[in-house]
Amino acid sequence: MANGSIVQMALLLCFSTTALSMSYDVLQFQQRGSISACWTLIKQLNGTGHSCLQNTIDFKFPQEIQPQKFQKKEAMLVIHEMLQQIFDLFTRNFSSTGWNETIIEKLFGELNWQMDHLEAALVEIEKEDTFTWEKSTTRQLLQDYYSRIGKYLETKLYSRCAWIEVRRHILKNFSVLDKLIDLIFKN
Amino acid sequence: MALDLTGRIGGGPRRMTALLGVTTLVLVAGPPRVLSAAAGGTHLKPPHDVEVSITDDTFTLQWASGSDPGGIVTFSADYQTLEMSNWMKLPGCQYVAGTSCDFSSINVSVYDTVKLRVRAEDGSSASPWHELGPFVPQQEARIGPPEVRLEAEDKAIRISISPPGGKNSLMWAMDRSRFRYTVVSWESPSGERKSIETRYPSYLMSGLSPETTYCVQVKAKLFLQRRPAAESPVRCVSTTAEEADGLPPPENVRVVGRGPVYVLQWSHARENVTFQAQWLYAFLRKNENYEAHWAQVPNCQQVRAARCAFPRSAFWKGIYFLRVRAARGNRTSAWSQETEFDTESQALVPPPVAVLKAINSSSLRIYVGAQNKSAYQGYLPTYEVVLWENASSVERTIVEKRVDFTVPNLKALTLYCVKARALLQTWKWNSSSEFGHTVCERTRPGDSSSARLVAVASAVLAAAFALCALQGLRKLVGYVCFPSRAPPPTIDQYISEQSLKNILLSTSEEQTEKCFIIENVDTVAEIEETSRTGEGHKTYNSQTSEDSGNYSNEDENSSGQESGDLGQEGSVWRE
Repeated sequence: MANGSIVQMALLLCFSTTALSMSYDVLQFQQRGSISACWTLIKQLNGTGHSCLQNTIDFKFPQEIQPQKFQKKEAMLVIHEMLQQIFDLFTRNFSSTGWNETIIEKLFGELNWQMDHLEAALVEIEKEDTFTWEKSTTRQLLQDYYSRIGKYLETKLYSRCAWIEVRRHILKNFSVLDKLIDLIFKN
Repeated sequence: MALDLTGRIGGGPRRMTALLGVTTLVLVAGPPRVLSAAAGGTHLKPPHDVEVSITDDTFTLQWASGSDPGGIVTFSADYQTLEMSNWMKLPGCQYVAGTSCDFSSINVSVYDTVKLRVRAEDGSSASPWHELGPFVPQQEARIGPPEVRLEAEDKAIRISISPPGGKNSLMWAMDRSRFRYTVVSWESPSGERKSIETRYPSYLMSGLSPETTYCVQVKAKLFLQRRPAAESPVRCVSTTAEEADGLPPPENVRVVGRGPVYVLQWSHARENVTFQAQWLYAFLRKNENYEAHWAQVPNCQQVRAARCAFPRSAFWKGIYFLRVRAARGNRTSAWSQETEFDTESQALVPPPVAVLKAINSSSLRIYVGAQNKSAYQGYLPTYEVVLWENASSVERTIVEKRVDFTVPNLKALTLYCVKARALLQTWKWNSSSEFGHTVCERTRPGDSSSARLVAVASAVLAAAFALCALQGLRKLVGYVCFPSRAPPPTIDQYISEQSLKNILLSTSEEQTEKCFIIENVDTVAEIEETSRTGEGHKTYNSQTSEDSGNYSNEDENSSGQESGDLGQEGSVWRE
């Protein structure tokens, strides 16, 4: 009898994980499409650093964020964190840049759409008992990184050159996001 | 044990000397970290049960005193971060008489790793340090109570929520977009408690009764994080009196995509009203002053029907909120509940293309795919394929993720038809395309029927073969038993002239009456011509002899029959 129930449990687990990983397939395709759209929009924001005298700055993106080391769940959490932080950055004052407001609106729309769908999948993870994202070092390091970028913009009084430098870093963030999205599908 | 420095002043010289000695000891040693019992003074115990409590941007250190009550003991604390090499004095926690202090003015980042230490002091001596940490403030922080404001209408209450720590919180600066609020409401004083969760700082509680008091309490949480959180104080408000002649707001607002437009629909009980619709980017909804950002929906102003249509091109990909209100004269209703609208959920999904291939008698191979490369971009479609026999109406539905698959258990040599549509699934909604074109294909013939065909074919061949053999046998028998008088056909090759043939050969039957004596060759040619024109009319002058044998050419019908000329012609030789 015990054996039977164990077999039943195993089967249940098998099927449930299969069902979930099929759904993450769906998510992966969706997210990849959105990432590519966001990247294209940010590229469209005009900005060359020719007239900017400052040297490039290193915000020290956390070395610990190595996509190949992450599990699927953590990859999704990191993607969500980064998307939210990038969204929040663009809500700051960028009037000095002369960027097209319509492109920024489209970018907000796309980022928000992507996060909304990702959140629908993350709600399942949130229900897990062993979940402790607030204690995660990865989260802390990421937030510290984006906090540094925010402080840099504040210090530079949201100047055009400061924003162009920030835009350069955000584009690099997207290549990290791309790698993380591949992980959603891998077990 | 506190060192009693107040001491006993005065007394005998001996005591004085002893006291002086002790004092010297103390002075020489300097302010001691640890006092030895041998010195004879009391031993100051460090505080215990030391705890750090962080709520929003408020940092509190708490402890319990280790010494007996009665003495005057103060406590002081230091802090150190990873980058610092020395301990620094913790602001707000120096010489504290009580058992807690507030060090919110500490100048560290909430993401720094911090260590604390605290000890008891009583002026000249101090306890050992009690160390605490290291910890990261942002990881330990609890969520404080949000601020709640209520605005009453006649049948609704608008709840406005300020995030914990306020707009400028340093603790939640990077998390502020992630607050979610649980709003518990009830009819005062003890109505049933209703609880809803919202991510927006502004929530409309509708469907209420006029002139009734409702109470609300809100608790915040951060999406994806588990933190203890404090509830807001209870706030209560009374709804206003019902408006006389008031218009109710529209209900059941929804959007569907139809062809090149989106159709916005709602329901409203009253007649003789006009409607107006507005839209808002969903991402603005979290802002404090989002109300100012509502904009008009094109083609949906002053409409009389409970629906309006606007072009798809008016909204690029994203999530929006829509709301509608009614108007009659200069009166307007309240706005309807805001409906969320995801453009992608109503997008036009193109139907897929299906191709059928017969592979054997019991299965067909089906290929489905997008019309063009970008048709289902960003989605992983599932295909719904409907299969039926052309002759019957019985349908079989197959749902497949694969684009190339086989359908088994079909009937042989039967015409089957399929049509397919694409199903797009997301974690939030599902949508589908129309069915594509129907394609039909016949399954291959079955094993039993092909065997039958082979059997029939071989039977036919065998029969033909047998027939040939039989004929051949007949010929042989006839040749042996009833030799033919017909010359071998090969003679024709050597004798080309017809006249000569007639002289030399005789192939016709019943020649007796036709026998005659040739007198000259010319006559034969004449006769030949005459006999040709006649229909077998023999005009030969013949002198029959009694001996003319009636040689019948029974084998005139044989396949070896040569040209009729020779056969019908007057045979020149006859006995």
